[in-house]
Amino acid sequence: MSTNSKAVVRKGLSDNDKGRLQLTLLRILVYAILIFLSVLCLFSFYLMIVNASRSNAQLQAGFRLLPQEHFLDNLRNAWTDASINIPRGMLNSLIVAASSAVLTTYFSALTAYGVHVYEFKGKKLVFTFIMAIMMIPSQVSAVGFVQMMNKLHLNNSYIPLIIPAIAAPIVFFYMKQYMESVLPLEIVEAARVDGSNEFRTFNTIILPIMKPAIAVQAIFSFVSSWNNYFIPALLIDKAELKTVPIMIAQLRSADYSKFDLGKVYMFILLAILPVLLVYIILSKSIIKGVTSGSVKG
Amino acid sequence: MKKLIALVLAAVMMLGAVACAAKPAASNEAEKPAEQGKVFNIYAWNEEFKGFFEKYYKVPEGVTVNWIINPSDNGVYQQKLDEALKNQASAAADDKIDMFLAEADYIGKYVESDYTMDVASFGFQNAPTQYEYTIKAASDNGVCKGVSFQCCPSALIYRKSIAKDVLGTDVPEEVQAKLDSWEKFEAVAAEAKAKGYYMTASFAETFRVFSNNCTSPWVVDGKLHFDDQINAWIDQTEKFVQNGYTLTDGVWGEEKAAQMFADGKTMCFFGPAWYFNFCMGNAIDPEKGCAGDWNITMGPQAHFWGGTWLLAATGSDNTEMLKDIFETFTSNEEVCEKLVVNEAQYPNNTKVVEKFANDPTYGNTTILGGQNDIAEFSKLAGSIKWENHTNYDQLLNEGLQTALQEYFKGAVDKDTALNNFYKYVNETYPAIVTP
Amino acid sequence: MAKQIRSELGGRRHRSVSYAKWGYIFITPFFLVYLVFTLVPQLLTVYNSFFENYMDGLKQIGPTFVGFKNYITLFTPDKTGTIDILKYAGNTFILWILGAIPQFLIALLLAVFFTSYRLNIRGQGFFKTVIYMPNLIMASAFSMLFYTLFSNIGPVNQVLQSMGILDQPLDFFASKITVRSLVALMNFLMWFGNTTIVLMAGIMGIDQSLFESATIDGANAWKVFFRITMPLLMPIFVYCFITAMIGGIQMFDVPQVLTNGKGMPDRTSFTMVMYLNNFLQTSKDYGRSGAVSVIIFVITAVLGGIVYKTLAAQYQDPDAKKAERKARRLAKKGGNA
Repeated sequence: MSTNSKAVVRKGLSDNDKGRLQLTLLRILVYAILIFLSVLCLFSFYLMIVNASRSNAQLQAGFRLLPQEHFLDNLRNAWTDASINIPRGMLNSLIVAASSAVLTTYFSALTAYGVHVYEFKGKKLVFTFIMAIMMIPSQVSAVGFVQMMNKLHLNNSYIPLIIPAIAAPIVFFYMKQYMESVLPLEIVEAARVDGSNEFRTFNTIILPIMKPAIAVQAIFSFVSSWNNYFIPALLIDKAELKTVPIMIAQLRSADYSKFDLGKVYMFILLAILPVLLVYIILSKSIIKGVTSGSVKG
Repeated sequence: MKKLIALVLAAVMMLGAVACAAKPAASNEAEKPAEQGKVFNIYAWNEEFKGFFEKYYKVPEGVTVNWIINPSDNGVYQQKLDEALKNQASAAADDKIDMFLAEADYIGKYVESDYTMDVASFGFQNAPTQYEYTIKAASDNGVCKGVSFQCCPSALIYRKSIAKDVLGTDVPEEVQAKLDSWEKFEAVAAEAKAKGYYMTASFAETFRVFSNNCTSPWVVDGKLHFDDQINAWIDQTEKFVQNGYTLTDGVWGEEKAAQMFADGKTMCFFGPAWYFNFCMGNAIDPEKGCAGDWNITMGPQAHFWGGTWLLAATGSDNTEMLKDIFETFTSNEEVCEKLVVNEAQYPNNTKVVEKFANDPTYGNTTILGGQNDIAEFSKLAGSIKWENHTNYDQLLNEGLQTALQEYFKGAVDKDTALNNFYKYVNETYPAIVTP
Repeated sequence: MAKQIRSELGGRRHRSVSYAKWGYIFITPFFLVYLVFTLVPQLLTVYNSFFENYMDGLKQIGPTFVGFKNYITLFTPDKTGTIDILKYAGNTFILWILGAIPQFLIALLLAVFFTSYRLNIRGQGFFKTVIYMPNLIMASAFSMLFYTLFSNIGPVNQVLQSMGILDQPLDFFASKITVRSLVALMNFLMWFGNTTIVLMAGIMGIDQSLFESATIDGANAWKVFFRITMPLLMPIFVYCFITAMIGGIQMFDVPQVLTNGKGMPDRTSFTMVMYLNNFLQTSKDYGRSGAVSVIIFVITAVLGGIVYKTLAAQYQDPDAKKAERKARRLAKKGGNA
């Protein structure tokens, strides 16, 4: 509030009132925008819940704005489906998504740090190269990737779903840009003077500073890995290894006697909850990271 | 030098990590029993047949049945099946596919290939009680490669109250007499329109009826070819849309489904037995539905919709079991009866069908008000044709419908719509020459 | 590991040579994994684009070397004189820009709101969670919802009709403008929360003392934003913009599911990757799909390069002098190898 007090001294009370009024109006406007957007976002979410509370027949019958009475039935049906083990699928997805998120953020930060802090021959080339591969569309190489993994007998294994996360050009780019905007090189210098080795400097000093960036990218990669269907579906066919999106697809291609759209919506809803939880946890650390680890430079 | 060592070290560590992690996957496969013919592998895209199999088939002692189930979303099922078939020759005996499931829409792709084998080679004989078209569908130049456990004749499903209003009768035989040709169908559509009704709720409602009766295949001498039946469908639909005889929704559309409520204005739908449960939820809705206000009859032309076949995979070492399964689901009357009673299937066994058709106590009460649907369907089943099919049918039929829907909705002109269809053909089947 | 530490200690004596190797060590895992898992399929894609190579049912056609034939086919106009790939490139751009403009404006605005001490917004945790939620729903499920919302008998039409705005249901999927708007709206909803978070993390990374001293000096919010926030946020903003653009060029799942892969009407919401996908689905046409990917790559690389150069040049010039000075200082001290 230092601006206000200064203004009071310089220009008198009327300006102070004006400033307050402006701020209040601005706040009203800001809250109005936020609430409007929230409603827009929550609406689709609300619809998911409504749909998850309706039986297959009710869903076929068309749209409804209010929930119906089958929420618990759907939950029970989804959770105890004999052929599709949802709790297992969630555990599988959790393993894959969490591992990818950890690997992708750690190694991208490491790579970005390597390019950002050190001067070495070919550094420019490395940066340009990673930028270039970032722009290659993933769809076609996906098919080649699947064929290669089959040849290496890595189908029905999580390795092709997790390890490639180490080389994520987009996450690298983000880390690099983040370092450019917030990481003062003096810190590295100071650590060197203190006798810290480079690897330890990275792990104990740089990573904490990067916490907000890591949290952000961890969320994104967790979510995209969690929702990934195409590649996992082509690599995994052992029931005990299937991830959530494969199971949802399987529910959707069920035959008419077992097809249950209510169950599908319920499963989609269930699938969102863990991601939401991860998001809430990580988004806290975006804020924490800034207040505790940030260094003035 | 140090640089190099560090790089090599890092590289070795990485490879080590990959190799270590790779082991469990490899050892999993080695765990399977090594004995020949003790593992029966089945590829499927859902659990429908798995349910029947587990209930009605007794697996021989000592044999493990493996179900490899991949969803059909995004073509994953066929992609994985094709991959496995390509590796079939080099796969270990217990990893080989023994049997796989295929739908009517793409069965030809597999039947014509060497990945499926002649059922006669392991002593299976098609029984005279099997429907002709189910055998033809699974045959390549007379060599049969599998069987179907069901038959899917599709009928005209009409709203009795609307029929009464428009035709003055709702008795199946009398309705049939007024709708047994496309000329009559069209004339009735005009009468229905005059009374404020729609004849059909989807522009593509009648497509299958026409396309099942084509007299030439989609592709002739490598060129895309429009059969007279396809052209007839286009002409008829054009007229229906222009005159307001039909709504322009898709076959699976919500707008169409909403027409099955009591306040719906549509008289005719086309579908097989599975259609009642799968697509007519609105009709049996306790509040807004109109259960019992429906009957079925043959309609203008006999046709079928859907169906699942069991195909014998070349290289199977469980041929005895294959024969056994095929016999169980086609000739075992006890099993076929259970399929009708417990599973609402229309079995691939004319003898069992006869029995239900002539049983006065049998009838569909959920939706047809007690009409004996098996009797009605059985009149159709014998005249279903499986001719002039190509491997391209499914996607060409779908592609044509989706392209023309834009035209029928008035979004583009006919030439543009057809042009978009040719583009789609070209992307999907590069080998077909388009106009 | 022991070896690495020893060499590091050794390096301490000749500082100017020793640090470079750490650069190599730190980037090694990335490149190894890239080589093993990604490079081969990517090179195959380019290689395949020079071959006729597809499936006709279960029958493999080719591969036969055909030179640039696949590219020539793609650039051959059809009967009406349209070159498909260019049409789809145009569609992709329009679909992206329609969603991206509001996405960036709103995200920037929200990021500033959330980080402003003066505004001190309450319930931030709630808002931040909510705006990100659409991104958590699978694109296919999200599109399913939108389809039912806007169908002929969907609630949007029902409301419009009951309010007397429409007397006939409006077919949202029969008109170019409405389909494109729906795709843009969905993309906006799915991604603005994501962008907000990234930009917010960027703003929070900025040294707070800069804002404090600026306000003490009497700069208004507008000035603070353009003189301090924006220049210092530029690296992150560039990241957002370029990745959003790459994502936009590769736009696929929303229009694919919403229009059931058709891009109706008349393929006006058909994107380049949907085109590519059509080649891969049934025909497994690695030749033409390879050529399409190479074209997409070239477009992306050219646009990406231009955007990066212009935006990067902007932030490297004026206000980031301080950072530059810092970097130079460090480089002199010994980071330079």
